[in-house]
Order: sequence, then C-alpha cells, then structure tokens
Amino acid sequence: MQLDFSPEDEEFRTAARTWLAGNVPQQTSPHEGQAARDYATDWLARCHRDGWAGIAWPADYGGRGLSPERLVIWYEEYVRARAPSVLDCTFVALNHAGPTLIACGTDEQKAFHLPRIVSGRSIWCQGFSEPNSGSDLASLSTSAVIDGDVLVVNGQKIWSSYADIADFQELLIRTDSTSKRHKGLSWVICDMKAPGITVRPIENMAGVCHFAEVFYDDVRIPLSNVVGDLNDGWRVAMTTLGFERKTAAMGLQLDLSVRIEDLIARADAAPGSATAERLGLLRAQAAALRAMTWRTLFREPATVFDGSLVRLRFAELAQHIHRLAMDILGPDALLMSQPTHDYLEAYSETIAGGTAEIQRNIIAERILGLPRE
Amino acid sequence: MTCNLNRSEDQRQILDAAASMLDADFDVSRDLAADRDRMAKIAEFGAFSLALDEQSGGAGFTLVEEALLHVQFGRHIISTHSIAAPIAARLAAESELIDLVGDAVAGGVLCGGGGRLIDGANARFALVFAPDRLQLIDIAKTTVVANNPGFGHFVPITDVAFDEDAIVATSDSRHLLDIAALLVSAQLLGIAEATRDLAVSYAGVRRQFGKPIGAFQAIKHHCANMAIGAEMLSAQLDMAAIALRDGRDDATFQVAALRLLAPQVALENARLCIQIHGGMGFSAEADAHRFLKQAHVLRLIGDAAPILDLESPMAPYKPRLGG
Ligand SMILES: Cc1cc2nc3c(=O)[nH]c(=O)nc-3n(C[C@H](O)[C@H](O)[C@H](O)COP(=O)(O)OP(=O)(O)OC[C@H]3O[C@@H](n4cnc5c(N)ncnc54)[C@H](O)[C@@H]3O)c2cc1C
Repeated sequence: MQLDFSPEDEEFRTAARTWLAGNVPQQTSPHEGQAARDYATDWLARCHRDGWAGIAWPADYGGRGLSPERLVIWYEEYVRARAPSVLDCTFVALNHAGPTLIACGTDEQKAFHLPRIVSGRSIWCQGFSEPNSGSDLASLSTSAVIDGDVLVVNGQKIWSSYADIADFQELLIRTDSTSKRHKGLSWVICDMKAPGITVRPIENMAGVCHFAEVFYDDVRIPLSNVVGDLNDGWRVAMTTLGFERKTAAMGLQLDLSVRIEDLIARADAAPGSATAERLGLLRAQAAALRAMTWRTLFREPATVFDGSLVRLRFAELAQHIHRLAMDILGPDALLMSQPTHDYLEAYSETIAGGTAEIQRNIIAERILGLPRE
Repeated sequence: MTCNLNRSEDQRQILDAAASMLDADFDVSRDLAADRDRMAKIAEFGAFSLALDEQSGGAGFTLVEEALLHVQFGRHIISTHSIAAPIAARLAAESELIDLVGDAVAGGVLCGGGGRLIDGANARFALVFAPDRLQLIDIAKTTVVANNPGFGHFVPITDVAFDEDAIVATSDSRHLLDIAALLVSAQLLGIAEATRDLAVSYAGVRRQFGKPIGAFQAIKHHCANMAIGAEMLSAQLDMAAIALRDGRDDATFQVAALRLLAPQVALENARLCIQIHGGMGFSAEADAHRFLKQAHVLRLIGDAAPILDLESPMAPYKPRLGG
C-alpha cells in the first residue's frame, strides 16, 4: 500500500496550480439562467483551450485520459484554487451524458456530440424523474410510439436541472407500451429545441431556478438518436455506475475539506468551546471523506455499489458543515449571501440522484447482502 | 501505479496468519480473564515486535502492517496489553534500555491513564498515557490505593500511587504518541467492523413477523450506517498509517483525524449491534456488550494531538469568493 506521486506527477501538480492561479475567474457564478450558462461555458471553453477539459475522458474523444493519481491532484488543486463549482450546467454532459455516449453511442453520435460537450459548446440536462416516478424510476410512463424512422414522445419529466438552458437532454422513456418496469425503456438524445417541448422552470428553496418541468407533446425524435438498443435503455442508464467514481463528484467531496478550513478561519472559536469541538469533528470527517475519495481511486471496489458509501457520507457531511456555517453566522444567517445560499442548496444533497434512504437500502441489500424488501 | 491502496500479497499473508491464530485461540466469547496467561501466544506470533527493526528483535514489517494487525486485535477484543507492549518496546529501545525491550515485547506491560491501571494483575511494567507524554513505570515500585472489578465486570481496575523512582523511561516523542494513537484507533476500527458483521449476520437469521429482521428498513438502515462508519474509519486508517510510515508532513494531522473519529464510530456501531440483537444484545451471554466495553477502555488511551492545532493538507490558497 502506497501513496507516492512520481516526479512527473509533481510537475503536473505544479503546472495545474500555476494554470489555475492565472485563470480562475475573479467573480462567482450567477446562480441561474443564461448568465449562469455563459459563465460555465466560458470557463469550460477556457479550460478546453489550454487542455484542462474532459480530464477523465479518453484522449480519443478530446479528453486528457488522466491517471487516477493526476485526477486527484487536479481536483485537489482545483478546489484549493477556488475554481468554479463543478456542479454547474456542464456537469451532466461531462460526467453522465458524455461517458454514456462513449460507452454506448454510435460513431455518428460520438463524433457529433463529444467535441461539442468537451469544449463547452453544448449543454445537456437529464430527463429521468417524473411526477409519479422518483425513487421508483423504473415505473416511469413518458412514452413514445414509432412512426417510420422517428419516435413520437408524449409525457412529462420533472426536476430536470438546467433544462431551461440546455441544448440536449438524456431522456429515458417507455418505447414498448406493453412493457413493465425496467424492460422496454429507451435512452434517447432529445433536442431541447424540438417542436412540442415546453419547459417550465421551478424555483427551489434557495430562491433559485435551476431545475424545471418538461412537457412533451408529440415531440418527434429520430430513431437514430436512440443510444444503445431500442428497449435497452435501463442498461444504458446504468452503464455509468462504474464510471461514477472518476467523475467530478470527486471535486465536490474534496471541496468539503476546503470549506471546513474556511469555517475554522471565519469562526475563530475559543479553544475548548462547543463551536471548536464541532469544527474539530467536522474537520476530521472531511479528512476521512478525502481518504474515502482516494480509496475509490486507488483500490479495487468490492462491488459496483461501493460508491453509495462515499456518496452518502459526502451528502450528510455537506449538510452538517453548512449547518455549522449558519450557526457561526449568527443574525447574518437571515441575509441573502453565498453561505446562506449554499446552506439552503445543501438540502438537495440527500435527495437528488437517489435519496439517502434509497442509498441506505442499496448499501444494506447490495453491499451487506441483507434480504430484499 | 504510484498510488495503490490494495493489500499486497505479503500483507494478506501476515494478516491471514494472524486471523487463523486469533480465530483458533481468541474467540470473542472466551473467558477474557484467562487472557493474561495467553498473551504469550500473541507475543510468540511476533505481534508486538512486528514493526521494530531487526536489530531490536523485530520482523521488519512497517507501521501499515502493524496497524492492520491491530484491526484484527480489535475484532477479537485483545487486552490493552497488546497496545502497551509494542509502544513500551519502542520506548525502551528509544531509551536504550535494551534488556527491557525483551520484557516489554513479551507482553508484560499494561496501560493506565494517570494512576489507573487497566488489567494490571501479574504485569511487571505499566505504560502511562498522558496527552503529550508516555511513561514506562515499574509496578513493583507503586502502591495500590484501590481495587475495582471494573464496569460491568469487564476488566479489573487498580488505582496505584507512584513517585519518580517508579519511572523507568519517559518519552514526549510526537512520533511515538502518534503510533500509540494509530494502534488504538486501529483496534477501535476492528470493533466497528466486528459489530457491523455481527449485526448483519444476526439480521439475516433472526426471524420475526415471518421474515428475517434484516428485511425491515429500520434494521437495514442501522446496518448501512454501521457500514458507512466502518468504511470511513478504515479509509482514514490507511491514510494515517501510510502518512506516519512515510514520515509525511501531514502525518500528525491524519492521525489526529483518525483518533477523533475512531471512538465515535466504534461506540455507535457497538450500540447499534446491541440494539439489533434485542434482548439477546442486552444479555451478558451474547458478545455485543463486550465490544462496547472494550471501546470505552480504548478511548481513554493513546490520545492524538488536538486537531485544530494542526495544519490541514487541504488549506486553500486564497479566501473564498463571496464569503
Ligand atoms: C436539486 C435536484 C436536482 C435534480 N435534478 C434532476 C435531474 O436533472 N434529472 C432528473 O431526472 N431528476 C433530477 N432530480 C430528481 C431526483 O432524482 C429525485 O428527486 C429523487 O430521485 C427522489 O424522487 P422524488 O423526488 O420523487 O421523491 P420520492 O421518491 O417521492 O421520495 C419521497 C420520500 O420517500 C422516500 N422513499 C421513497 N421510496 C422509498 C423506499 N423504497 N424506501 C424508503 N424510503 C423511500 C424517499 O427517500 C424520500 O424521503 C433532482 C432533484 C433535486 C432535488
């Protein structure tokens, strides 16, 4: 067992640190709308120009194909340099849609979409959840019938992040009307400018509009936009499960180690005080989350579900850190500010992308082998 | 690969060998009071000198293997002698008390916080833990103030008084203190893992309302929480052990984080393990309570440096935009 970085890795670290110091934007990102999109795409385009985009993507598809050592170096330098949050409107494309196309897409799909994604020229959203299908995703009912060489889609999606500013959507729909649950679904590329699509942004509890409802009224999508086989969409949707450990989620996890340093500096707590105790504990937990993140990169996982352990630890630690930030703010906790915004946003961590309860079910059943419900 | 957190073949071998020895002779249901006579078995295995250099009678393994071995000690509720012995051996070596190294390695040492000796019968030396100092004392030169059977009849406690001439060796080496904190934490991780495994296996076989209790979500989620706690601690143990072995700048920080989390996770997992066993968990005949009690013992020894006094390896380069 070792954690050694080669001299070449250290050169890479210096190069990353230097580039970030000279290029990280001096302003924070707007929270929503076209302004948020412009900020995110400008940043990604700048990364791309200098060879820092798609760092985990294979070189064949315009990425850097970095080793796990360099991924961790990059993200640690990234968060310590205060680069923009990785969880912006480019996240789905870079970390989910792109890798899914790389794994399951046709040559045409890859040739068209991947260069646009990695250079910040196209934004994607995810259309999986529906009003009646959240945790129970496989019950979804938005469906399509085949008309010649197009799919005609009708139905509704909800909570689709950045749908209002996205160019494309990874859309999971029922393409076999006789099918039940996981069978008979397809993963399709939906052009968000197609006729029949209506997007209604929804304000979240932080007072920001970054997710939306999407309505489909006879939306025509070419069959050539199906990724993987028709009616095999569940498998396609699950392919990225193994890839997840190399995504930018690592950047979010590592960022908690920086956030707790900010709090320690801001709180200036008296040694031995209750606040100091809480800061110390959260600092230790952030260090351990970092260790868990390293482990996902440098150790063979026992199961493909191991990511749930880290993911849930991250989500709950994030909430605890932001909660302490509110306590430290005192009466300023009532003001609109970056820390209060971040606190409110953190409530989504145990809901989005699989709730904490569902993650615990997965850990108990898939990792520990307890009986299914 | 320049970074690799998989166990090596050598590591697996030594750990497997230790597991066979412990499974054979140190079943968690055993009479713990009889252990005092059996510590020699563990000493013979080389456990207390594993990471000493070969000159001092060691096996030339490193702190990483030693820490992993102590995880297994935790799983088997081995007496705190197992922590005192390798620390005392180092202390004796550091103080050039070479003839003492042999005694210390043989396991004739125990732990005490201040003058409170844990599991003191028959021991010749005691290791005294203070936040920033370790001392080896000669028990023959102490006077007994009080004897107590120990909480829940777990481990006998002897309060002793002693003065300067009982002190054989002293060290305020941060490295040695960090090693003690690492080994204590490793044993606490062993408790966290063993209680997780015990709870999960009971949840799979105990049936109520016509199904295994593990099919109920309340039980599932307790088990998931135990798994998360153990995984977190285990990842941090690797990080801290490697940092300490390699003399990295952040070693003391990593150990401090580990040592702060270890008792919390161990006590919480032990609590859940008792709860999942129902009435059986509360009985002295089941093993769950033993893990809880051992965690309470361990958390009183081998303190790390206060974490807020240290520098984080993830310090930001500039203030956060927008506060
Ligand atoms: C900020 C944010 C962004 C999102 N972005 C997207 C996106 O881009 N695309 C997209 O498709 N979706 C997105 N989602 C939706 C997200 O995936 C769902 O909210 C999530 O899967 C939960 O579904 P639900 O909201 O319908 O809650 P429900 O499934 O209705 O759950 C309600 C409660 O019941 C609990 N529950 C449900 N089933 C079980 C069970 N079997 N056992 C125990 N408890 C259970 C849940 O844990 C939860 O506490 C986003 C959500 C948020 C908050």
